[in-house]
Amino acid sequence: MSEIDRLFDGLDRPVSRRELLRRAGRGSMFLGAMALLAACGVEAQRRQEGDRLEPLPAEPAGELIMANWPLYIDKGPTGSPTVKGFESEFGIDMKHDEVINDNEEFFGTIREPLSQGQPTGWDIVVLTDWMIAKMNRLGYLERLHHEELPSFEANVADKFRDPWFDPGNEHSIPWAAGITGIGYDVEAVGRDIVRFEDLFDDDLAGRVGLFAEMRDTFGLALASMGIQSPDATVDDVEAAQQMLISNRDKVRGFYGNDYTDGMARGDLVASMAWSGDIFALSLDNPNLRFVIPEAGGMRWSDNMAIPVGAEHPLDAHLFMNHVYDPRIATNITEWVWYESPVAAVQEMIRADAAGPDADDLSCSPFCAELAEDRFVFPTEETNVQTIPYKQLDEEEEQVWNDLFQTVVQG
Amino acid sequence: MAYLLLLPGGVWLLLFYVIPTISMLSVSLQEGSLEQGYRLTWNVGVYGEVLLRNDTQIIRSVLYGFVTTVVTLLIAYPLAYTIAFHGGRFKNALLFLVILPFFVSFIIRTIQWKFVLADQGVILGTLKDLGILGQGFHVLGENVAVLGGLIYNFLPFMALPLYVALEKMDKSLLDAADDLYSNRAVAFLRVTFPLSLPGVFAGSLLTFIPSVGDFINSEYLGSPSTTMIGNVIQQEFLQNNDYPEAAALSFLLMAAILIGVALYARVLGTEELTG
Amino acid sequence: MKRRGWVLPLYTGVALLYLFLPIAIMMLFGFNDIRGRFNFTWQGFTLRHWQGIFDTPELTLALKNSLLVAAVSTVVATALGTMIALALTRHRFRGRGSTNLFIFLPLATPEIVLGASLLSLFVTANVTRGILTILIAHIMFNISYVVVTVKARTQGFNREWEEAAKDLGATPWTAFRTVTLPLIFPGILAASVLAFALSVDDYVITLFNAGATSTFPLWVAGASRFGVPPAVNVMGTLIFVVGAVLALTSVALQRRSYRGARPEELMPRPSPVSAA
Repeated sequence: MSEIDRLFDGLDRPVSRRELLRRAGRGSMFLGAMALLAACGVEAQRRQEGDRLEPLPAEPAGELIMANWPLYIDKGPTGSPTVKGFESEFGIDMKHDEVINDNEEFFGTIREPLSQGQPTGWDIVVLTDWMIAKMNRLGYLERLHHEELPSFEANVADKFRDPWFDPGNEHSIPWAAGITGIGYDVEAVGRDIVRFEDLFDDDLAGRVGLFAEMRDTFGLALASMGIQSPDATVDDVEAAQQMLISNRDKVRGFYGNDYTDGMARGDLVASMAWSGDIFALSLDNPNLRFVIPEAGGMRWSDNMAIPVGAEHPLDAHLFMNHVYDPRIATNITEWVWYESPVAAVQEMIRADAAGPDADDLSCSPFCAELAEDRFVFPTEETNVQTIPYKQLDEEEEQVWNDLFQTVVQG
Repeated sequence: MAYLLLLPGGVWLLLFYVIPTISMLSVSLQEGSLEQGYRLTWNVGVYGEVLLRNDTQIIRSVLYGFVTTVVTLLIAYPLAYTIAFHGGRFKNALLFLVILPFFVSFIIRTIQWKFVLADQGVILGTLKDLGILGQGFHVLGENVAVLGGLIYNFLPFMALPLYVALEKMDKSLLDAADDLYSNRAVAFLRVTFPLSLPGVFAGSLLTFIPSVGDFINSEYLGSPSTTMIGNVIQQEFLQNNDYPEAAALSFLLMAAILIGVALYARVLGTEELTG
Repeated sequence: MKRRGWVLPLYTGVALLYLFLPIAIMMLFGFNDIRGRFNFTWQGFTLRHWQGIFDTPELTLALKNSLLVAAVSTVVATALGTMIALALTRHRFRGRGSTNLFIFLPLATPEIVLGASLLSLFVTANVTRGILTILIAHIMFNISYVVVTVKARTQGFNREWEEAAKDLGATPWTAFRTVTLPLIFPGILAASVLAFALSVDDYVITLFNAGATSTFPLWVAGASRFGVPPAVNVMGTLIFVVGAVLALTSVALQRRSYRGARPEELMPRPSPVSAA
């Protein structure tokens, strides 16, 4: 008799009493397992450690493990010069892993240990401001010892001090900042894109992209309806949702990092974009432009923070302080091409570009353009055009996410 | 004796699959949030909710899985057949070559497919230049692209079990069939194919089951209109942090797959599944 | 099999070309002379990416981790899975029907939930995430794949041959080793190759259970923000070429060791129409 027939024999047979008892036994074992799980209970997930100032060890441990986004630190042929410099200067063995591709994805991997008070394996993580706000709400970030961060205190630009998502910089200090706007190929589009709604012009249908990042896409949509994100109510977001859904057919997709792929290949002629990316792409294709929509673009910052339970907190502070040295910060920015939180960087890049070693710089031969780019180093005028994200509490975040999900899924 | 054989693997799966899955089941019945914590409230209603809300994606995923399985079967069968019967001493090497592309990360494979299928890329661009295709034509973002990705990625999963079943067949039987039936096609349908059914069954399972739950191909090669249940689960889990719903959807997915598999086995089982 | 047409071999060639198409592109873009950061469009030929490919310590470490985990998990999962497959097809026992059905469940469970719930288990048990947890996870999901693949071979296994060997004086283990094992070996081999590929390629489950350890797919995912960097393409090309060379060497070796008949040819096949 065949294998498969035997399989179904088991299911077809009339059940004898013995069989029934056995099955009942197994069933109750199963329920017992479930009851056990229920009894285990799930405590509230908010940790208290984030509120206290944990004492730092007297000596550095000699080891540091950092998680960052890809291409967010300077690169040499054998690794990052900044990391290597830090390692030799402080005698600390540092691992800089570019594992963060998405705030939520990364949070998903560290949530479980954090909620149970265990080390995540990371000493420093670099996350976008709204995720920092969320982790703060949950008490998942260590409080920083600002006495170990004199370079930060001395060199940070005022606009980054005491931000909306982390009052007093108690739990985080910025790594880099940028703007979400629109990138487009002026030749392929044939005109300048000025407003967010221009993306939905009929002649561009099927070749434009929006972001899968809810706060960016809703942010620009709300702005185009005259609403600044921090002031938006749920009704406003619903209106934005409707507007997006009605235009969804014209959109090719909702992208993450891979919109650059589409833009480079010409599959996308216009898309929501990040300032630094377009600067980089435009070096290969001078037709690419970045623009902040007339009604406003989103400004964001990625910030360094120490997850609760980190095993080498003093080493973490040392590195965080190290990158606020203007020379180090300039080296990083010359490679990364996103705004630096250190005030002196723009001037230093100008000086470097005019200096004798200009050709050896990582931004060469574009260093002069880099220093003057008003999206990488926003002027007052540019700043005014940008809007920060809204501070969402858990319930609001849920509602906004649910609304966005209907936009993104078909 | 059987229990002894089952023991090591069984214990491993019990520890590292069954227990996490039971805890997942428990999570699906919980309510709450990250900040307030979750409590087990036996909220069975969540299953109904997510089923109703995501019925389109569930149906779409099952459909994609079905098409993927059928097409990979059609593509892989002749391939496995040739390697098994005409491979000679190159058999193992050829088999290895079939799976070799999968040693380089799926990200690389998918990105390179995006390159191949780009609107103005090597294939489409050339065809457009020649005037065969209209300028607005695109493949990426459509069902075809996602299915193409699924089929490509699951081809070895179908080919390997097929090969395994075909290779063990007694060639003298096949020679006899050739002698008996005037038509080679009939000989194939009457003798070879039925004998290879265990391989067809195994390959179909290894293709259908994972492809229904796939999310990568839709994410990279698709668009909102190709959203699969895997994408929904991903979103519920990562973005909405709605673990009960994500878990409930996962169980619904598993149930749908199990039902499909049971039906499939029943259909095949009514024939003489020899071998 | 006297009739050797050209249709099937041609088809096989085309099918293999189809399978290799993205790989060919990958190889090509390892030679791309990129000016900026992006590796999306072809900009010229260069060999510079091939210099110092092992100089990036993170990439080499990630690759080593992946290969190590894949090798160990393949061996363990193949052993455990084969035993289960044998139990399911050679023996009758209570609960066989349900075991048959439930062995498919790991395949059906979405990776993200599988990964996250396993992480939950590790965290509760206070196990540090690293190579060990990745290994455990990989063995876990590989077992089902091995069982299904090996079963395709052992289906309807005829115990008469083993019984005959035992009648002739062999111990059960010898009977198994000399009779059963060679017959099911192609299935085991195919299953282990599949398991290796699955392990080397796994992303989601590994992402959740790796802690701060890096594997090749994790590294590639991070590095591919602006398209696959030439360094990664070069590494991928290396992997592929090494694999292809291994395959070809095995052919050459086979020729030499099996001058006479192969083991399968010495052993008469179990009749497919046996009453099992």
